[in-house]
Amino acid sequence: MTATSALASASARDRRAPSFATALVVLVVSALPGSARAQFFESSQSSTPPNIEGLTVVGKATIGAKPDFAEVELDVSASAELTGDAIVKFRDSKKRVHDAFAALKLADVVVEERGLLVDQKGAMVNPYYMMDYSQNARTKTEVQLSRKLVVRASKLAAMDEEAVLQLVGRLLDVAQDAGAHVGPSADMNMYYYRYGMQPTTGLVRFVLEDYEKIQEQAYEQAVADARRRAERLARLSGLELGPVVAIHEIVHSAATPVPTPNDEVPRKRLETTKFQEIPVRVELQLRFAIHPRADGESKGPAQ
Amino acid sequence: MISMRCMIALVLLSPALAFGQSGAVEEEKVSNDNPARPLQMPPATTEVKEALDDFERFQRRGAWERALKALYSITEDQARRFVDGDAGFIVPVAQKRRQVLTGLPPEGQAAYRLFYDAEAAKLLAEAEGPAELANLERIYSAYFTTSIGDDAADRLGDLYFEMGRFDRAADCWLSILRDRPDTNLSPATIALKSALALARAGRRSEFAQVRADLVDRYKDDVTTIGGRTAAPAALLRQILEDDPAVGVLVETADPAPGTVDAPLDLGRPIEPDWQLRLAESIEAGMTPVELNQWRSTMISAAKPAVTIEGSTLYANYMGLIFAVDLNSGKLRWRSDAFHHLKAAASQQNGMAAGPGRFAILASGESVWTVTRDVKSQNYMATFHLECRRADDGEVVWKSTDLTDYARFDPNGPPLLNGDVLYVPAKAQPNPQESQPLPQQVVLAIQPHDGKLIWTTEVGVFRQGQQRYYYYNMVDTSPQPRLLLRAGSLYVDTHVGILARLDADGGGLDWGYGYKTAAPQSQMHFSSYNRVQQPQAVAGPPIEIGDALLIKGAQSSRLNAIDPNRMTTLWERTVSKDSRILSADDGTLFLGGQELAALELEARGLSWATRLPGGSLEGEVLVRPDGVFQLTPRGVFELDPGSGDVRRIFRGEDLGSGGGDLLLTDDRLLTVSNRAVTAYPRGAAGAEASTTPMEKVSR
Repeated sequence: MTATSALASASARDRRAPSFATALVVLVVSALPGSARAQFFESSQSSTPPNIEGLTVVGKATIGAKPDFAEVELDVSASAELTGDAIVKFRDSKKRVHDAFAALKLADVVVEERGLLVDQKGAMVNPYYMMDYSQNARTKTEVQLSRKLVVRASKLAAMDEEAVLQLVGRLLDVAQDAGAHVGPSADMNMYYYRYGMQPTTGLVRFVLEDYEKIQEQAYEQAVADARRRAERLARLSGLELGPVVAIHEIVHSAATPVPTPNDEVPRKRLETTKFQEIPVRVELQLRFAIHPRADGESKGPAQ
Repeated sequence: MISMRCMIALVLLSPALAFGQSGAVEEEKVSNDNPARPLQMPPATTEVKEALDDFERFQRRGAWERALKALYSITEDQARRFVDGDAGFIVPVAQKRRQVLTGLPPEGQAAYRLFYDAEAAKLLAEAEGPAELANLERIYSAYFTTSIGDDAADRLGDLYFEMGRFDRAADCWLSILRDRPDTNLSPATIALKSALALARAGRRSEFAQVRADLVDRYKDDVTTIGGRTAAPAALLRQILEDDPAVGVLVETADPAPGTVDAPLDLGRPIEPDWQLRLAESIEAGMTPVELNQWRSTMISAAKPAVTIEGSTLYANYMGLIFAVDLNSGKLRWRSDAFHHLKAAASQQNGMAAGPGRFAILASGESVWTVTRDVKSQNYMATFHLECRRADDGEVVWKSTDLTDYARFDPNGPPLLNGDVLYVPAKAQPNPQESQPLPQQVVLAIQPHDGKLIWTTEVGVFRQGQQRYYYYNMVDTSPQPRLLLRAGSLYVDTHVGILARLDADGGGLDWGYGYKTAAPQSQMHFSSYNRVQQPQAVAGPPIEIGDALLIKGAQSSRLNAIDPNRMTTLWERTVSKDSRILSADDGTLFLGGQELAALELEARGLSWATRLPGGSLEGEVLVRPDGVFQLTPRGVFELDPGSGDVRRIFRGEDLGSGGGDLLLTDDRLLTVSNRAVTAYPRGAAGAEASTTPMEKVSR
């Protein structure tokens, strides 16, 4: 029964018993979050397949690849009580960042813009009271325009470390000289502290994009690895390996493609804050069918 | 069923209630009696306000005797207290009384003269010898519209003029011209006197207006002044020609070509002449842990307050006073070793002393400082004044040794004018004398011995003393700033009131109330996760022609007022964290989160440039050839027309927190929390200076 139908039937059933109806509504309302949560509930047992027949092994493969992009994330924002002033400030601020990078005349460096956020300055959790999550009502409305700019330097794979350092150094210097904010926002410190979050410390992220080919190789190697293991176990067990009957991919956070926020262009990418080879990891759990050996030499475990 | 409906209604309305809260901020009313305002000028009693209301009521009915009786029930001591005037001005009751009397209709005027002419004539007859000034002032204040009021105002104007109080003299004569059309005095002579007083007071626009009247309206009159007889316009021209210094004050033309400053060229490799490394001196020998601890303190981020006198730079570095030879960079003297600040930084009480409150001023053989001992164990220790000998740093006097200063906590930079040192101060509450709240006062001091000349109360704070119990509780209350112009001392309290005082006697002329944010709470219970909104340093009022431009530190309004005509010229909304830097050629330069330029005529924002570290504090050089600011990443040079960054001069002080830029004839000085560095300027040039009639507390 849905919440709506419950409410309708409850109200139709007995108009003379408001207390019962109220109780029912409260019950339904209080049950709503629970049912909503249940819809998204996922079993944590998915990594352990049920005990079924066959031989299950894990095959792993890791292939390292140099990042091909470096990205510096900048915050450009402006606020003012008059929206017109905020627009002038924001426009100038953005223009100066673009001009500064254009003046570098580096063909492989582009400045990408993310979505524009029109917000209210000071719309934050009142910091003066530890348990007060209300907005600061005394703050006057001050319009804040902000936009994230991402400076992308490409063709890193062909560079040595010294060249990358020089390039990244120039990008950071130019960004800061242009008045842009580099690194995590100071406004978030309170949240990091309060909720035990770890602030992002890296000023630059190194990115590996469109690594399909490498991933394909990794899958091949992981399957081959799994088959080798399975064959060894089958051989030692006097069994004959059949075809693959099930495959389960084990996903590790380190190899997880970064989920893209709404305002970013969705890309398949791997990120790291260190300039190093980024590992493309694949881990597969394969279940092979098994049969007793045809020559009857099956040893099998002792019964 | 009812309860269910109530519940549904409550559920549906709850978001609206939440939104309603955020929109409940009420626009502040600028009134001296508004309890939400942080500072109140000495208020008149309720009886006075009732008397003024009674006057209005009886006047409307034509009951002149009762109306005037109500007005004259105001006692003389109350006549010096303050009530709301027009256009945001807060005026003395005496001025309000004169204003309402000059506005009387003819029948009211006749009745008024019938009742009060005799009293005024008696006062005028007794205005001889020592009582002359007081009696004339009393007539001008209380009986100006009587038959002899204009004569008394004319004599009072003469007296003020002889005393050199040209501003007041001009006001007396102008009030005859404006408010007494029935005067039997020669309007041409009064206009000529007004013009001379206005010229000497530097009130350009009013001078131009009166001069135009002399040329046009009074061209057929003949006037005698100082033994010379001629047409008033010709006489004015002759007198001004005889005294070129006065003529310059009323000319609106640009300064003479010889005084134009040479350009500041930072586009060439410049090695510093010398550098005084403050931070290195303190940090020497620190372990990494100590260094980390030191750099996390507020004191390590503080830059010294500096001033230049002759060939010496004087600095007040968190209470440590030192002098440096500008030519060699050698330390001439210092009051204490720099590394002693390290010990002060480790004590929490040292933290409460906001670095911005330390100030310094030097002139001739003396150096004056607003300072406090950061090693003091007293959390609530007040600041004090010190006077030192400029040549060796020996203390000549300090206010802690003088009983007159027991109540005063200097809370702003001092201003020197000849033999008078003006200092804004906070008078501590004195419950024994029915003064439970602190007051904002201005002190006039004899610079050589610290003797108080006068003390004037500007207002009473509506909140008690701030207390700082916890770590990092810095006093962030804005500092009052002073401006001296044409015999008047302007005090921007930065808490909603700009006050004008008579620089000679300390009399409080009026106040101008501008909109400002509500005061912070008295005590901070916890510093847990405090998010500090950026706040720009409090700046002095600046002059644009005859107008004064003010921007309170907690205000989101820019106000331009004409202090002589007591009118608001315009008002514009700006960011609360902005500050006024300078005005030049129709452009107003603002600091804050960004360095910005505002076109004065259209009052539109022309450009805004965000520099590393922002532009919330530090002396910014605004010159015709560029705008220069010291940032943590070097000296940035901006095009004043477009705001584009022309050049970044990295210099030898990278990694500091930014700071002040000072220009002398031959050097560019950068003053930061880490070092004082002098660069050769290259081409010689005269230093930009303030006009002779203007002095600003730095």
